[in-house]
Amino acid sequence: MADVKVEVPTDSSAVIHSSSAASQPNNPLSRKLNKILETRLDSDKEMLEALKALSVFFTENSLRTRRNLRGDIERRSLSINEEFARIFKEVKEELESVNEDVQAMSTCCEEMTSRLKAAKEQTQDLIVKTNKLQGENHRLEVRAQVAQAFLAKFQLSNEEMATLRGSRDAPITEDFFKALSRVKHIHEDVKILLRTNQQTAGLEIMEQMAVLQETSYEQLYRWAQNECRGLTQETCDISPVLTQAMEALQDRPVLYKYTLDEFGTARRCAVVRGFIDALTRGGPGGTPRPIEMHSHDPMRYVGDMLAWLHQATASEKEHLEALLKQVTLQGVEENMQEVVGHITEGVCRPLKVRIEQVIVAEPGAVLLYKLSNLLKFYHHTISSIIGTSVASLLITIEEMHILSKKMFFNSLSLHASRLMDKVELPPADLGPTASLTQTLSLLREVLASHDSSVVPLDARQADFAQVLSCILDPLLQLCTVSASNLGTADMASYMVNSLYVMKTTLALFEFTDKRLEMLEFQIEAHLDTLINEQASYVLTRAGLSYIYSGVQQHSAEQGPLSLLPSMDSSSVKAAMVQFDRYLSSPDTLVMPQLNFLLSAAIKEQIFRQSTELVCRAYGEVYTALTSPANGYKDLENLLPRSPKQVQSLLS
Amino acid sequence: MTAAPYNYSYIFKYIIIGDMGVGKSCLLHQFTEKKFMADCPHTIGVEFGTRIMEVHGQKVKLQIWDTAGQERFRAVTRSYYRGAAGALMVYDITRRSTYNHLSSWLTDARNLTNPNTVIILIGNKADLEAQRDVTYEEAKQFAEENGLLFLEASAKTGENVEEAFLEAAKRIYQNIQDGSLDLNAAESGVQHKPSAPQGGRLNADSQPAKEGCSC
Repeated sequence: MADVKVEVPTDSSAVIHSSSAASQPNNPLSRKLNKILETRLDSDKEMLEALKALSVFFTENSLRTRRNLRGDIERRSLSINEEFARIFKEVKEELESVNEDVQAMSTCCEEMTSRLKAAKEQTQDLIVKTNKLQGENHRLEVRAQVAQAFLAKFQLSNEEMATLRGSRDAPITEDFFKALSRVKHIHEDVKILLRTNQQTAGLEIMEQMAVLQETSYEQLYRWAQNECRGLTQETCDISPVLTQAMEALQDRPVLYKYTLDEFGTARRCAVVRGFIDALTRGGPGGTPRPIEMHSHDPMRYVGDMLAWLHQATASEKEHLEALLKQVTLQGVEENMQEVVGHITEGVCRPLKVRIEQVIVAEPGAVLLYKLSNLLKFYHHTISSIIGTSVASLLITIEEMHILSKKMFFNSLSLHASRLMDKVELPPADLGPTASLTQTLSLLREVLASHDSSVVPLDARQADFAQVLSCILDPLLQLCTVSASNLGTADMASYMVNSLYVMKTTLALFEFTDKRLEMLEFQIEAHLDTLINEQASYVLTRAGLSYIYSGVQQHSAEQGPLSLLPSMDSSSVKAAMVQFDRYLSSPDTLVMPQLNFLLSAAIKEQIFRQSTELVCRAYGEVYTALTSPANGYKDLENLLPRSPKQVQSLLS
Repeated sequence: MTAAPYNYSYIFKYIIIGDMGVGKSCLLHQFTEKKFMADCPHTIGVEFGTRIMEVHGQKVKLQIWDTAGQERFRAVTRSYYRGAAGALMVYDITRRSTYNHLSSWLTDARNLTNPNTVIILIGNKADLEAQRDVTYEEAKQFAEENGLLFLEASAKTGENVEEAFLEAAKRIYQNIQDGSLDLNAAESGVQHKPSAPQGGRLNADSQPAKEGCSC
């Protein structure tokens, strides 16, 4: 650039020279001038720059300066070039140092490259190894995951382990059951392992789980046992956890059974205590009064005790149901019955002692009978709770039932044998004897209490036959014996009266049909006697018996009746007059014994049937006397009444 | 865990009494099974039912003894009054005679239970309005004179059945709360469970627990 500037002034001076020179085209000056003139200054940047540079130092436009301009410019150019050279020298030096540095770097790099190469060669092995290791690492990680999953599936977590292996008296919680069911699950799942080729692991885990299961069950059992042992209050609080424990324990029948036993024993204690309290202490402030306060009233006493036991049994059954509600084992119902049986076993002794006392005190046949029915009722009621298993309580109640029944029948037999010891003579009115009415009222009471008993029908019916034969048979015997010294009519009346009283007594009760039939039959037999007696009584008193027997004994070979002595017309006539008197007032001729009959209906029957007999007798007499063969005359006068007339008069 | 049906704090013992055929067993059946039993056989002796219900936020188990109304069972049923915390005395609003016998039932109940036994009078068969033979007012007055709770109910429709058992239970609970019913004594007809199950229990019962804890 500086070069250009230097040249320009030269040119311009030349221009100036040429313009002042010739303007001929061939003139170099003019050519030069032209050239200058043609130069477009404003578009020539170089020129502009040169001028601009010139204006910097060419400040004074004088001749001298103009003359010196060239020198100035050259000097300036020189100095600039010198400067330039100096600077370039610096630059060169710099470049050289850079070059040096680069050289150094290059060597350094080379060195490094070689070292790297060496290192690379050296590490080649390592890299291969590392790669291998990485691969292995990955594989191991996968295996670790698998192992983790395996452990999660086939092993317990630490917490679960801790729960299961808690201290001996640690309380059992929900978590315990979760852990336990996990153990059980694992034990089940491990069986799959055994089918694969992982048998060793399978076996080991199985064994481990089995051991764990055993110890856990044992701990659970100890806990449950302890828990049950505490259930000795009247209030029996079956906690949900205990219910769960029973559910879990059902897998170990022995432990399950032992726990139930423990429960039973605890509850047994509670029930005995409660029973004794109810017997001796009663309710709050003595109301309800202790049961023993009623020991003077056997029915109430025994009834209260049994009712209490019934309620206690029902409650205990409920407790058991609560305890075992989650148990799915077969035969839970039997288990429960067994345990309820065990629980109620404790009260048997105090119950038995008390009931025996009541029975042995001989409270009388009726009460004994009522007691036996009551016992039977409760046997029935309680067995519907306990079931039909052989529970001591039921056995005790049954024993007491049998005892009371036995004592009852003993008492009846005793009564009967006392009757036979001193046979009473029939009273003058031929009515039932005092011992008969007394015995019958006993029977009535017994039957009445039977009737109101709570025993099912079929059982009652069976009892009845025995009671009836126990009382009625000796009574019948008694009546027969006491009547043995009487005359026919007296005896028959007495027997009819006695039988009638028995019949009316029995008729009020059920299941007596057979006996009633038998009594009816016996009454009929005696009625026949009485009817015959009454008929002959009437015939005798009406004077017809003589005639009638004459008619009956007469046979055709003896000739006509009228010829027989004492059968002549006048005798017959006299008898007929007498008979006519009877016809006018038939009621006057009644056997005195008939008036003693207690039943008007029977009396009426005897009267009617005996009258029929009388009519028939008259009929026979009439037929005989009116027969021409017998040779009576004036028949109309002799026998004014036809049998028909007699019959209508008498009926 | 709290849903377990045996999670209750008290057991109340009830007895149901009244003439034959007034619907005692049907009331019980309606209460325990929520069903009406159309052909109910005569009760033999006594029968038994339970249900758990909530009284003032407390789970209470009712143990109900249903007695036979027939006269011949009286001797047996009388033994069941002892230790009842509540007695439901039932008559039939369509049969006046069953109402007339109430005083005899009441005498029995008063004599054979403890003084704290809550007696509630129930006029059953309230659905048979057309055949009504005993007015509500009359029975109400009888109940008031004798200090009994009173409700008319229908075992057939279930109307007031729940309420009848609940009213009595509320009164019993109240007696426990104010201390007039001594849980300590045997045969109070109420059993309390001092050791509460782990489930949430209200503080309200800490008071009776204090009385019952020594048992």
